[in-house]
Amino acid sequence: MSSSRAMRIKKLSPKTILTVLLEGQIDASEYDSLTTEAKIATGVDAGEEDEIHLQAALKGAGQSTDNEIPVPPPQVSEEVKYEDLYSRPFVEPRGYIKSSDTVEETLSCLYDMTTEDDEFLKNYNQKRSSKLSEDDFERIMELFERTTSEQAPFAAVDNTTVSYEVMASQMAHSPISKLKTHAQAVYDHWKARRQSDGNRSLHPSLKFETPGQQDHDDMDPYVCFRRREVRQTRKTRQRDVMVADKLKKLRRELEDGRQLILMAHQRELMKREMLSTERLLFEHRAKLKEKKVRLGIKEGDEDLYNTKPVKRKAPVESQPAAKTAPTQLRLAVRPEGRPAEQELVQLEDKQKERFEEFLRDIATKAETHRLWNAKYVDLTEKPLSPPQEVEESSFRPAKAQFLPTPPASASESMELDDEPNEAAALAAKAPSTPFYFRGLSPEAEQPMPGYRRRIGRNGRLWIDRRNVGRLASPPSDSEDLPQNDRFAYDEDDSDDEQPVYHIDPYDTRPMKFRAGIPLNIMRSYRPGQDGSLAAQTTPNARAALPPPQQGSTPVAGHGHLQVQQSPSQQASKQQAQLPPTPQQPQLTS
Amino acid sequence: MTPGALNGEAAVGPEGSRQKSKATPDSVRVGCIAMVEKDGQARRAEILSIKDTKSGRQFYCNFDNFNKRLDEWVPVKRIDFDQDVEWPNPDKDKPKQGKTKKGAVAAGGPRKNVGKKNVAQKRPGKREQSVTSEAVTPHPWTEFVDSQSQSKAPSTPRDLDSKAGDTPAANGGAGGDEMDVDDDDNAPEVKKEEFSREAEIEKLRTGGSMTQNPTELARIRNISKVQFGKWDLFPWYFSPYPEAFTQEDVIFICEFCLNYYGDQKSFTRHRHKCTLQHPPGNEIYRDEYVSFFEIDGRRQRTWCRNLCLLSKMFLDHKTLYYDVDPFLFYVMTQKDEKGHHFVGYFSKEKECAEGYNVACILTMPQYQRKGFGRLLIAFSYELSKVEGKLGSPEKPLSDLGLLSYRQYWSEQILDLLLRVNDGDEKCSIESISSELAMTTTDVEHTLQALKMQVYHKGEHKLVISEKMMQQREKAKAKQNRSIDPHRIQWKPPVFTASSRTWGW
Repeated sequence: MSSSRAMRIKKLSPKTILTVLLEGQIDASEYDSLTTEAKIATGVDAGEEDEIHLQAALKGAGQSTDNEIPVPPPQVSEEVKYEDLYSRPFVEPRGYIKSSDTVEETLSCLYDMTTEDDEFLKNYNQKRSSKLSEDDFERIMELFERTTSEQAPFAAVDNTTVSYEVMASQMAHSPISKLKTHAQAVYDHWKARRQSDGNRSLHPSLKFETPGQQDHDDMDPYVCFRRREVRQTRKTRQRDVMVADKLKKLRRELEDGRQLILMAHQRELMKREMLSTERLLFEHRAKLKEKKVRLGIKEGDEDLYNTKPVKRKAPVESQPAAKTAPTQLRLAVRPEGRPAEQELVQLEDKQKERFEEFLRDIATKAETHRLWNAKYVDLTEKPLSPPQEVEESSFRPAKAQFLPTPPASASESMELDDEPNEAAALAAKAPSTPFYFRGLSPEAEQPMPGYRRRIGRNGRLWIDRRNVGRLASPPSDSEDLPQNDRFAYDEDDSDDEQPVYHIDPYDTRPMKFRAGIPLNIMRSYRPGQDGSLAAQTTPNARAALPPPQQGSTPVAGHGHLQVQQSPSQQASKQQAQLPPTPQQPQLTS
Repeated sequence: MTPGALNGEAAVGPEGSRQKSKATPDSVRVGCIAMVEKDGQARRAEILSIKDTKSGRQFYCNFDNFNKRLDEWVPVKRIDFDQDVEWPNPDKDKPKQGKTKKGAVAAGGPRKNVGKKNVAQKRPGKREQSVTSEAVTPHPWTEFVDSQSQSKAPSTPRDLDSKAGDTPAANGGAGGDEMDVDDDDNAPEVKKEEFSREAEIEKLRTGGSMTQNPTELARIRNISKVQFGKWDLFPWYFSPYPEAFTQEDVIFICEFCLNYYGDQKSFTRHRHKCTLQHPPGNEIYRDEYVSFFEIDGRRQRTWCRNLCLLSKMFLDHKTLYYDVDPFLFYVMTQKDEKGHHFVGYFSKEKECAEGYNVACILTMPQYQRKGFGRLLIAFSYELSKVEGKLGSPEKPLSDLGLLSYRQYWSEQILDLLLRVNDGDEKCSIESISSELAMTTTDVEHTLQALKMQVYHKGEHKLVISEKMMQQREKAKAKQNRSIDPHRIQWKPPVFTASSRTWGW
C-alpha cells in the first residue's frame, strides 16, 4: 500500500510516541495502513502454522466463535460413582491455605490393592476365621514391596526374590508385627504376582533413565524426568574453612549442652545428698532433744537450730546452696567482696596509660630538642620548627620589624640566645621577621615591654607595644612613687645585686626613640642579619651563612633538615658541617 | 514422506518423487499416505500405525493440515482404496526433503524446529518395525526393543524397504539406479543424522521444556480414555505413563493428588485413603471464583510429575525429558464442597535465562472455552508485574495457546489504548509494554495483528477501528471475571544456588 504512494516511512521504534485515534477521528483516506500482508510471527511451530483450523481461527480473530479449533470433547463420565469415590467433605479455612505435605505424606499406605489382590483376599478370608482386612493386607504388601526395593533394587533385571525369612524379620521389626500370621500366605501371593510380571514393582511405574544406557534412553519416549547434570559447586579453601568452622562451632555448642546437662545432674545428686544429711541431722537433734529433756539439760539449745549460721561453719556453707534456686545464675562473688571487674585490666586504663606515656615521650623529646638548640639561633629562611612551647601572647602576625626593647642593658646578659626556642617560634610565626630581639628572660618577674615597628598604609609608621599594661602601674601610684627615687638613697655596695631601673611604661619616649632607629643600625645590630637578608633576596645563596661570630654560631636550619630526612646517612656529614656540640651524638639516636 | 510432507504443505509435497499406486487393506502399510474420510470429506492422511482388532483392521491416521489431536484410528471402510496410495520411499525422499525442509526452516521458523524436523525424519525403518509390532503383540515395547536391535542390523534401509514391500510394481519401477544413488548418499546422510540427533539431545538438555520427544512412537496417542474426577477425558497426545497403561481401555486419575491407576480396584482403594483436597502448596490467590496455588517442583516432586504427565496428554510441545525440579507450578482451582478442583495451571522456570514468565500453560479440557485460559494468562502477567519484569510465554505456542494469548493481548492493549485516547494522552510501544508487563515484541505483533498501525502525515499513529470497539464491548459484557491484584499474597521466591542444587 505504502509503496504505491512512493512514500518513505520512518522507522518505528519502541520509543516512538504514538497518537491513539478512534476510527472516526481521522479520515480514512488520509493515511496509509501499515499492515502489510506479510506474515506476523505467531510463535507457533512452523510445521503447525498452516493447520486449517488455526488459520481459520486467525483469519476471523475475534469475529465469532464459529472458528473454534475442534478438540476431542470431554464428557461427564457415566460410570463414575463420584460421591463414593470423593466422599470426604471439604472445609475451607478462613485464611489462605498453607500446605507443604507431599503426596506420599498424605497417604497412609502406599500400596493400593488391585482386582487380583481383591480376589485373593476374598478367597483367603473365606477359608479363615480371623479375617485379614484390606488395610492390613495393603500394609503387608507395602512392606514386601519396600523391602524389595531396598534390598534388591534391580530385582527386575536379575530376578532376585527377597526370601520369606528376610521379609518375616523385617516384619517383626515393623509396627505390623501382629499381622505375621498372615504373612506367609500374602508372601506367596505377592511372589506369584511379582513373578508373573518379570519381577517388577507391582505398581506400574514410570520409566526413568538407566545409567549407562543414555543412548537408548534418549530415544525412548517413555523415559522421562531425567536428572539434570548437577553443576559442581566450586570447592575453594575458603569454603572448606567456612564449613569446618561451622562444624566446629556446632560441635562446641553441643559439647556445652552436654556439659550443662552433666552438671545439672551432679547438682541434683548433691542436693539429694544434702537433703539426706539434713534429715540425719534432724534425726540426731531429735534424739538429742529427747535426751536433754530426759536429763533435764536446759542450756545448749542453740545446737538444735539451724538459725545461727555465723557460728557454725558447715551449715553456713550448705545453707545458701540449698536456698539458691537451681536455675538461677549467680555472679561469682570474690572472697574480698569486690566484683571481679575490679581486678580486670580495663581497656580504658590501658589507653590512658599509653597516652600518658606518649605525652611523656613528647615532653622528653621536646626537652632534648630544646637542649640541642640551646645557645643557637636559627636564622635560616625556613627554620626547622622547634617544639612548641606554651605560647605567650604575641603580636598579631604582621609585616614588621622587631625593634630592640629599651635598654638592652636591662637584661641579665647580652646573650641573645638565651631563649632561642622562643625566638625560633616567633620566627616561624612571622617568617618575614629576620630576627627577634628580646631583652628579658622569662625568669624576670615582670616581662619587659616589647615593641614592634611596621609600615602601614600611606607610609604611616606604627609602633606596637606589648606587655605595657601588665607591667605598668599607674604613675600616680603612691606606693610606687617613692620607689622611683629610692635608688637615690639606697646605695648598695654589694656587686651581687643588680641595679634596678624603673621605667615609666607610659612614657612616649621609648616609642619615639624606636621610631627613629634607622634601619641600617638594626641591620648591624644583630649578627646574622645580613646573611638572612641575603638569603631572602637570593634564595640560592642559602648556604652562605655568615661566619661564626662570638664563638657561637647559629645552627643552620638547613643542616637540621637534612639530618631529619635521613639521620643515619647524614650523621657524618652533619658533624662535618657543624661545629661539634655536646649534644651532637643525640642527633643520630 | 512423513511429517514434512504431511504437516502439510500438501502442495509442497514431492508429488513426483513418491511412488503412487493402488493398494489393498492388506498391502497398505505404515508410512503410506492415503485418502481417508474425515468429517464427510476425503483428506490426505498418513498412516502411522496399524492394528488388528476384533472388529477388523484399524489404521492410525494423521490428517493433512489437521492438528495431531485430531488423529484417530479409522476402520478400513473409511480409507478410499480406489485412489492411489503414496508409498513411503524413505531413502529417496529423505535427503531431498531434509534439505528443502532445512532451508525453509532456517529462513522462516524458529530455530528450535530445525532439530526436531531432522529427528523426526530419522531411521525410517525403525518406525515401521516398531509400530507393526505394537499392533500385533500384547507387549509392544519389549518387542520393539528387540526389533530395534534387529532393525539396526541392516546396513541400508533398502533392505527394510524391499522386505516390507508388497508392491513389486512400484519398487521394480524405482529400480537399481536409485539404489545406487542412495548408497552414495547414504554414508554422509547417516552422519548428518547422527549429528542432528546429538544436536537434538543437546537442545533438549540445555533448552526448552516444550520440545517434542524425538521418537516417532510419541506421535501416536497411547492412552485412549482418562477418568478424572467426574469427567471422562480423551487425550490428545502421547504421554509417557507406564507402558502397561497403553493396554487399558481407561485409566483413572485421582482428582487431587493426580496419581494414576490402571486398575479400578486400586483406584477405589486409593480414593479411600487419599486425604488431599487441594494442590499441595500454598494458596497465593483467592476470590469467590478461583484460587491459585504455588507449588515447588522440588518439594512436591511426585505431584508435579503427575501434573506433567496429565498435562502432556493435552500439550503437544511439552517435554518431560527433564525432571520438574527447576519449575514452579501455579495451579488454578475452583472449590466446592469436595475440595479444590484442578482447572488449569501454568509452569514457570525458577530462573529463566530467556525471561519467559510461562513455560507450559493448560486449561483442562473440561474447563476449556469458559474464560479460564484468560485468567491463567492474566495471573501470569500479574506475577510478572509483582516481579517488576516483562514476561512472555515460552515458544512454540500451540494453536490454542496462540489464540488465547492473542485474545488476551488484544484485549489488554485495546483497553489501554482506549484509556489513552480518552485521556488525550500519547503512548509508545514501550509504555504499553511496561504498563502491561508484556515484551515489546509481543506488543508490536499484536498491534500488527490488529492492523492498528498507520502512517499519517509523517507520523506513526494507532487507529482503533469501530469494529474492534464493538467487539470489545460485546466481549466485556460477556466476561465478568478477572484477577484482582490486591488479592495476590505472593512474594517472588528467591532461590540461592544451594537451594537449587540441594534444596536448602
